[in-house]
Amino acid sequence: MNKQLGFLHNSEKCVGCRGCEMACKNLYQTDISQRWRQVFQIDENAYPLPSRMFISIGCNHCSEPQCMKVCPVGAYTKRDDGIVIHDDNRCIGCRLCVMACPYGRPQFNSVINIVQKCNLCYQRVDKGEKPACVASCVAGALELVQINSSLDAKTGVLKTLPGLPSPSITNPSIRFVGPKQGKQVRRD
Amino acid sequence: MGTMEWPLVLFTVLGETAIGIIFVLWWLDRAEVDPIFYKKAALLSGLLLALALIASLFHLGRPEYAYRAVSHLSTSWLSREILCFLFAAVAWLYFYSQVRQPKGKRRLAAGITSTFGLLGIFSSSMIYVLPRVPAWDSVQTPLFFLLTTGLLGGLTCLVLGRKTLKLSQLQELLLIVFTCVLVSILSFAIYLSMLNTAGMEGMSTVQFLLASPLFWLRVVANWLLPLILLVTYFSKQKTINANLVIMLFIACSIGELLGRALFYLSAVGISITALK
Repeated sequence: MNKQLGFLHNSEKCVGCRGCEMACKNLYQTDISQRWRQVFQIDENAYPLPSRMFISIGCNHCSEPQCMKVCPVGAYTKRDDGIVIHDDNRCIGCRLCVMACPYGRPQFNSVINIVQKCNLCYQRVDKGEKPACVASCVAGALELVQINSSLDAKTGVLKTLPGLPSPSITNPSIRFVGPKQGKQVRRD
Repeated sequence: MGTMEWPLVLFTVLGETAIGIIFVLWWLDRAEVDPIFYKKAALLSGLLLALALIASLFHLGRPEYAYRAVSHLSTSWLSREILCFLFAAVAWLYFYSQVRQPKGKRRLAAGITSTFGLLGIFSSSMIYVLPRVPAWDSVQTPLFFLLTTGLLGGLTCLVLGRKTLKLSQLQELLLIVFTCVLVSILSFAIYLSMLNTAGMEGMSTVQFLLASPLFWLRVVANWLLPLILLVTYFSKQKTINANLVIMLFIACSIGELLGRALFYLSAVGISITALK
């Protein structure tokens, strides 16, 4: 593997507008049941800060993709740049990848009876463009980055956030900048 | 929570029964076995295997491309399962051709068929050993699948051979059934206690099972009733009553079908718990 492309999501910047979701749907005209990218709100009880915080999750193009491992028809391939691509034409709709992914990103499309997922806009990436979700993010909260040790070494970059499955299952190629602790004002 | 996967329930239970029958035939063939019983059982195993393979297609979104399922043998247990079951189906044709010949090598053929079948069942169980699903991600999953094979294979042969098999052979089969029931009860108790320590998802599975009427129906049909019948029989050691065999078969078949349906229904996967 030469490199691993992935996402860096900044919860401090994300306003939860779901523009990334809409950009994805607009580009691929996906069925109403499909949400290849989805914005979640972090549960306040899990991360007790008095503000709303969001995370935007698409396929994480994991280092150890369970979807690719379990697929019986080889519909999944991992490119040299780390992007995990699902070939719709090969899929037979067994839904095993849906069971295997803890992020719920391969999704069964009951209209065409196959599984579909985010392919990280590889056609755009190959032309040097940003994926639709990244390009559409008004706050600049979502970035396409190289996942490597120097990124992980940066202060404030996290491998997971509360409410997400343990990264040990698939080693996802997403990193987070978590919400910062705001100024505390004591009123006693 | 999982979904009721009837095609998969039928595929796994019928497939395991078919392979169980062939394995039991191989086992019984050490001594003389009634040829009519043998032929009937061999034919039934083929019928069940064919039904199982047909049922599996209904799970697929695009069954017309099912042949592609053997193209990822390097990592996919599903590919391995399909390949082993296809080999078992071909081996069954050879097995049945040997059964029909007066001096055919039926024991060898039964051995080959059941080996491929057992490998298929093992692969089948390994499909579900997924890190995402604590209820499946353990050694219990292959054990459950193999227990179904022994239990329903043994019981089907008991029903078919209840009038023609020797008493010693019938007792041998009852002992296999009794062992399977006992191991099933013990392993399920261990499974439940292990699940309770397997995080939130494992506990959800336990809660779902204990609250489900289907589970309690399974407890009665699959474990309590067979256990009472078998203990009563072994304590008296009289001749084998045909009604006992048929009751055992019906109860355990219902129990195993319910058990497999609950296996899929009660699966709770690790997932994003942030608010949608």
